[in-house]
Amino acid sequence: MSVKDMTHHIANYRKIFVFLLIGTALTVAASYMEFNVQNSIAGAVFVGLTIAAIKGYLVAANFMHLNSEKKIIHWILLLTVFFLSLLLFIPLLWDLNLMSHY
Amino acid sequence: MEIPYNVQVREDTGLYNSKLGIWLFLASEVMLFGGLFSAYILLRTGAPVWPPIGEHGSIMHILKETIPHATFNTVVLIASSVTMVMAWVSLKMKDLRKFRIYLGTTLLCALVFLIVKYFEYSHKIHEGFVPSHDTYMALYFTLTGLHVLHIIGGMIVLGYFFGPGIKMWDNEPERFTNRIEIVGLYWHFVDLVWIFLFPILYLLN
Repeated sequence: MSVKDMTHHIANYRKIFVFLLIGTALTVAASYMEFNVQNSIAGAVFVGLTIAAIKGYLVAANFMHLNSEKKIIHWILLLTVFFLSLLLFIPLLWDLNLMSHY
Repeated sequence: MEIPYNVQVREDTGLYNSKLGIWLFLASEVMLFGGLFSAYILLRTGAPVWPPIGEHGSIMHILKETIPHATFNTVVLIASSVTMVMAWVSLKMKDLRKFRIYLGTTLLCALVFLIVKYFEYSHKIHEGFVPSHDTYMALYFTLTGLHVLHIIGGMIVLGYFFGPGIKMWDNEPERFTNRIEIVGLYWHFVDLVWIFLFPILYLLN
């Protein structure tokens, strides 16, 4: 990579840093807000985790260079996300199983 | 015998070996933390009140007190991610002096994070909120404890590259730069985990 490329990278890292700080402030703010939905805490959880997911994407795409990484890495991560989703859905399956008994 | 593909990339993967290795390791780490996140969802959805009320009442009042500390720690960890990536950029630009400054700052941030965590743990334990108090506290100590272990592990590796490991720069600068990229990927992952731990354990209760 040339020095010019690196200078461009540095400017980008600074921008991402600012976005992450704004995201952190928004997450904290969201936890204090009352959401006009049936279950306010569920609204806060949804907003909080959405912001966290965006922040996570910014870190992975920019600091971990996933936006310019090789295809094999993307495939490894895609497979990981598939199994992770399965793992996170296990509690839901548990609930569905309980509901079927009522 | 020289170990192949430390610097040059393999034709089949398009990567140098340790980069593929660290991504496979990070994939296993995702599953490790994923299992605990799954436990969190199961216990939280199954609890009538969250966080549960135990022998010493609810943790909520202490949680509210610790939000500023946890927010501060989040900013510190994000800053450490930036200094980490800047350390790698410094090596790419062949500036060892700046590399030392950025890596040293990363280490300092990690230390600050641990100090704040120590005070946070002490406060909770002093008030009787130990892991056996309720399921929230058990999850809190397991998740943050595992994360702290990752921070300590990262600090040991970063400390090595800040100290004796830097000698490699004299003979094999490209290989050393790759090593910093690898440890950087691990460090960003640790930051990424915290980005999710912060809202679920401190804010959204």
